[in-house]
Amino acid sequence: MSTLGVLGHLSKLETQARKRKEAPPQQSGLEELKATVEALVIQRDQLKAEIKANESVQKLRSEDPDQSTGGGEELGEGADGSDGSVNSQLLQLMARHAQLTDLLHAHHLIGGYDIIKTCQGNGLCVSLATSYEGVYLERYSLEIDVAPKLRITRHDVPTFVPLARLAEQGGALQTNLRGFLGSLSRHLNGYAGRKQQLKLVKEQHKSVEVMESNAPCSILILLMTVPQVKDIAVLCKLDYTDHTHCLPEEVTIQSEDKDLLETTQWKNNCTLLKETPLHKALATLIQSGDIK
Amino acid sequence: MDDLKRRLLQRIIRTMPTQMLKTTLSKWARLNIEQQESLDFTQPKFLLTDQLLALCGESGLGVKHITELEMIYIIDNPNQRLWHAYQLLEAGDDAHSVEVTNFKEQFKVHLTELIRHVSIKIKKHTDEAVWIRIAWGDRSSRPNHLKPTYVVHHLQTPYVFVTNLTSKTMPLLSQALVMATRYSSMKDANLSGRNLSAVRDLLMKQFQQVFPSKHLQPLGKKNQINSNPQIEREQDEQSETRLQIACEAFGGGTLPELQKAIYTLETKLKDNTNKIMTEREQPFRCVVTFKSTNILESLRHSAMTGIASTPVTPMLSSISQKGRNHFLITDKGPGPQRKL
Repeated sequence: MSTLGVLGHLSKLETQARKRKEAPPQQSGLEELKATVEALVIQRDQLKAEIKANESVQKLRSEDPDQSTGGGEELGEGADGSDGSVNSQLLQLMARHAQLTDLLHAHHLIGGYDIIKTCQGNGLCVSLATSYEGVYLERYSLEIDVAPKLRITRHDVPTFVPLARLAEQGGALQTNLRGFLGSLSRHLNGYAGRKQQLKLVKEQHKSVEVMESNAPCSILILLMTVPQVKDIAVLCKLDYTDHTHCLPEEVTIQSEDKDLLETTQWKNNCTLLKETPLHKALATLIQSGDIK
Repeated sequence: MDDLKRRLLQRIIRTMPTQMLKTTLSKWARLNIEQQESLDFTQPKFLLTDQLLALCGESGLGVKHITELEMIYIIDNPNQRLWHAYQLLEAGDDAHSVEVTNFKEQFKVHLTELIRHVSIKIKKHTDEAVWIRIAWGDRSSRPNHLKPTYVVHHLQTPYVFVTNLTSKTMPLLSQALVMATRYSSMKDANLSGRNLSAVRDLLMKQFQQVFPSKHLQPLGKKNQINSNPQIEREQDEQSETRLQIACEAFGGGTLPELQKAIYTLETKLKDNTNKIMTEREQPFRCVVTFKSTNILESLRHSAMTGIASTPVTPMLSSISQKGRNHFLITDKGPGPQRKL
C-alpha cells in the first residue's frame, strides 16, 4: 500500500472504476439480446404450434363436415378413436368451438332467426320462438319455397295472425324478408304474451272471473268484486286493438254503482290496467283492497 | 204444440244413453231436484218421454226450453253429426273488435231480416266457441224444430262449422254470418268430418305439425331386432327418414280424426279414332274415396312403414297441410284444385 502511494492507489481505483463502467454495459446488452431471442423463439414456437393446431382444426373440420355439424357426442367418439391424448381432445374441442362461433356469427347475420335449408337448398324453414317475461313459449315455423320466388308453402301460425297480409304488405316477403319476419315475430310475441298473462290470471287470481276471451286473446271481459258493505260487481273490458302488443289500448269499466267508477282511485286503476301486465295489475288491485 | 214438444223430446231421448240423459237434465236445470229424482230411468224410453212431458207441462216448459235441452246435448256430443267447414274471406277493418254480445245481436237482426220465420238460439260455450241453433221455416210455415241447423264459430277466426245445412238456407246463413262477423264473403272450405274438434283443429292448425329441423328429435321408438350394428344403423336411418317425411306430410302426435278423403277426377277422352267420345261435352268423372276411422293416421302409417312411397304426393299431404278432404282434379292444372 505504502509503496504505491496515495496517488498510485487512486489511479488504480480509477482504472478499476473505468473498467467496471465499460464492461457491464457490454454484458447487459448481450444478455438483453439473448433474452429477446429467447422470447422470439418462444413466440415462434407458440405461433408454430398455433398454426399447427389451426391446421389440424381446419383439417378436422374439413375432414368430416357432417360429423362436425352433428352433436358433441360424435366428436367425442372421434377423439377416442385416435390416440386419445389430451392434445387431440383439445383440438376436437377447439374445432367445435370455432364452428359454433361461426354459426353464432351467421345466426346474428340473419337477424337471430333459426333458418335451415330444406329440399337441397330450394327451400327454407324458419322457426320463430316466442317469449314473455324471459320465459320461452311456443315456437312457430314457416316453410318457404325459394324459387322461382319466395312463397310460404306450409306453416303452423295461428289462423288469426294475418300472415298473408304481412307477407304482401309492400312485397315484404320478396324484398324484405327480415322485415317480414320481424313483424310476424311481433304478432306472435304479442299473442304469446297475452295468452300467458291470461293463463297467469286464471292460475293466480281465482277470485276474478274471466267472463269472456277470444282465440287471439285480444278481447277480455273480467268480472271483479269490490268488497264494500255490500259487494259490488265490476265488469272490466280490455281491448287489445294492436295485436302486436301485450297491453290493452282500451280499458272500459262498468258497474251498477256509477259513483264508484267516478272516483279518482278507480280512474287510476284504469290507467294501471292499461300500463301494467294484467296479472300484475290485478295483484296490485287485490293487495290494495280495491277488489277481492 | 204439444205434439211438437213430444216429437222433439222423443228424438232427443231416443238417441241419448240413460246416463247421459241424467247429466244433461241436471245441466239443463229446468226441472227441480224433486222432479229430476222422480224420473224412472229404468222404464222403456217411450214411457220416460211421457213422464218427462208431464213434468214439462207441470213446470210450464215449452218448445223453446226443449230446444235448449237439445242444444246442451249437441254441444256435449257434437260427433254424431257430419260437420262441414266454411271459410270467411276478407276481414273488414272492424272484424277484430266483434265480441259475443255484439255478434249475437247483429246475427239475429240480419237473419230475421232475410227470413221471417226463423228461430235462433245462440250460446257461448266454455271453449270460446259460439254455438248457434237455427230452426228454419219458409214464407208460410213456422220454423221446423225437428231439422235444426247447428253453427259453430270461434270469434276472430275465419272459419265456421256447420251441420245440417241445405242449399236453400246456405245463402241466408252465409249473408247473416258475413255481416255479423264483418267479413265480405264466405266459401266452402272443402272439409267435412264427423269429429267436430278434428275439423276445427285441422283448419285452425291446432295439431302438431312437424317441420324440418337441425335437431332431429326422436319421433318414435325404435324396435329393431337385428343384431348386426351396421344393418341396424342403416335401417334406423332409413326408418327415421321415412318417419320424418311422414310426419312432415301429415303431422306428428295424435292426428285429427277424419273419416274420408274424396278425390274427383274430371277428364276428357283424347282419342282421334273415337270422335263421339272425344267430342262429348261432359267430362268423365272418376271419384276415389279413401275411408278409414282415421284417414290421416292410416296414410301416415303407410308412408312410415314404406307401404306408400316417399316423398308423399301433395295430393295426400294436402289433407293436413291445406286442411281439406274434398279435391277436384281437372285436366287443366296439375295438383289439387278448388272444388267448384
